[in-house]
Amino acid sequence: MTATTLPEAALGVLPRADGSARYSHAGYTVTASVNGPIEAQRRDEHAYEAHIDVIVRPAAGVGGTRERHLESILQSSLAQIILVKNFPRSLIQIVLQVEDSPENDYVNTKLVQASLNFAIMPALMQTAVLALLSAAVPMRATATATAVAIMHQDGAKQTVVDPHPRDIEKAQSVHVLAFTSHDELLLAESEGDFTVKEWDNVYETARGICCRSPPQAKEGMAMLLDDESTGGPDMRQFLRSTMGFKVAADLHWK
Amino acid sequence: MPREAEPSLNEKQFVIQALQENLRLDGRELDQYRPLELSFGDQYGLADVKLGKTRVLAKATAEVTVPYTDRPLDGIFTIATELGPMTSPAFEVNRPTETEVLLSRLLEKTVRRSGALDTESLCLVAGQKCWSVRVDVHVLSHDGNLIDASCLAVVAALRHFRKPDTSMEAGVLTVYTPAEREPVPLSWLHSPFCVTWSFFGEEGEIAVLDATWIEEQVRVGSCTVSLNKHGEICQIAKLGGTPVEAVALLQCVSVSLTKVKEFSDLLDRKLAEDLKRRDKGGFMAELRAENDR
Repeated sequence: MTATTLPEAALGVLPRADGSARYSHAGYTVTASVNGPIEAQRRDEHAYEAHIDVIVRPAAGVGGTRERHLESILQSSLAQIILVKNFPRSLIQIVLQVEDSPENDYVNTKLVQASLNFAIMPALMQTAVLALLSAAVPMRATATATAVAIMHQDGAKQTVVDPHPRDIEKAQSVHVLAFTSHDELLLAESEGDFTVKEWDNVYETARGICCRSPPQAKEGMAMLLDDESTGGPDMRQFLRSTMGFKVAADLHWK
Repeated sequence: MPREAEPSLNEKQFVIQALQENLRLDGRELDQYRPLELSFGDQYGLADVKLGKTRVLAKATAEVTVPYTDRPLDGIFTIATELGPMTSPAFEVNRPTETEVLLSRLLEKTVRRSGALDTESLCLVAGQKCWSVRVDVHVLSHDGNLIDASCLAVVAALRHFRKPDTSMEAGVLTVYTPAEREPVPLSWLHSPFCVTWSFFGEEGEIAVLDATWIEEQVRVGSCTVSLNKHGEICQIAKLGGTPVEAVALLQCVSVSLTKVKEFSDLLDRKLAEDLKRRDKGGFMAELRAENDR
């Protein structure tokens, strides 16, 4: 379980849901199902737009305040990219089941009251977007997310992409950023102490991971060198290729 | 939330008539299970069971707590079942349905009451400290026969699980982190498995194993037998439905035993494979802190 592993995803893993996805990256594995638009309950019904219901379920223990907090953050960001006005009085239900998350081997965790980590946000966000795409829910744009931590190492500040729980424990600040496919900032959540300059740094790093423009037609050698110089996985390319494979597999009969 | 659509009259009659001609919609034999897949996660105590389109995830965890005052020498062992909206939008959060209550009761009876996990071994300091072992069962997709799949997932998760090692020195309890000492397995006594029979026909004369969702909706009764590979029966539950002949039930139990032996073999094989996968460099034997029994 190293942070350098490339993200993996499978679409349509649950046969009975409208759309589903399983995503694993940096030790986190999340399965999501999307049902919608379906009939909303009276109390959730909005007259002019669809209600987005996000449910986060931890692998162990019952969900608590932290899960509700994550749900509310995800709910408000996803409502920005889903075309909610197209489905008045209906419900789009997104269930995110955490399967696996990396553990800090150096502390014993209390698990009966589940306490989800802040750094799981990108995995939740990415799985939700993949499941929404799989359910063919109309969206304004897709989104990509990443987590960045600022660590104090050998007297110098260092930015760590996709931090491990052990890194998070020692980190000065942890940031989760998400961008839409139009390069707009969709979500910025931070924890810990940091200056504006550090945040700008984090923003640039996250932007480099989430909004990398597709590789131009270059010479083969130059492209290889280019790939090595840029750090972190290319999330947008990953999203695109995952969907591309799925569509190609579905349209195989043609 | 929308209610789940019932199968139409035509669908129901089609399934029943096919069963009367010894045929099933997916071409299986009457006493044949769907392909069963079992896999473990990166962490200890995570089991993923796929039975056809039914998928169940079980996660075992442990923490140190205070034992119940009426049972000072026993640890705590709970099984939490949840059928969330992921299973079907008809299930609501925090509102257990009848299916969920029946499922958790059956699991409780099979795994907990049969003494599969030795709860006395979970006690650390009598009346003060004990392990609380909790298994969370998440049903990801429901295509019939939840009981058998969940039971297998729970047993697999518990057998795969390792709890942190502890030591007592001069009345001080130390719980070692996984980095300090390799975690130790639970003291496991036997592995019970559930086998669910569904009965069809006017008098319940057709007995079918591993019913799918549509078959479950048209059956006239069902019976769950829990037993281990030695043929020791932990419980038999036949909750209502059409009465079934005792001789037919005996026949069912003897077939169940062969199925349970298959489950048991599969679980043993998968656990051995997983152990081999984790044992990189062959240091596991030296790292182990437990004594051989």
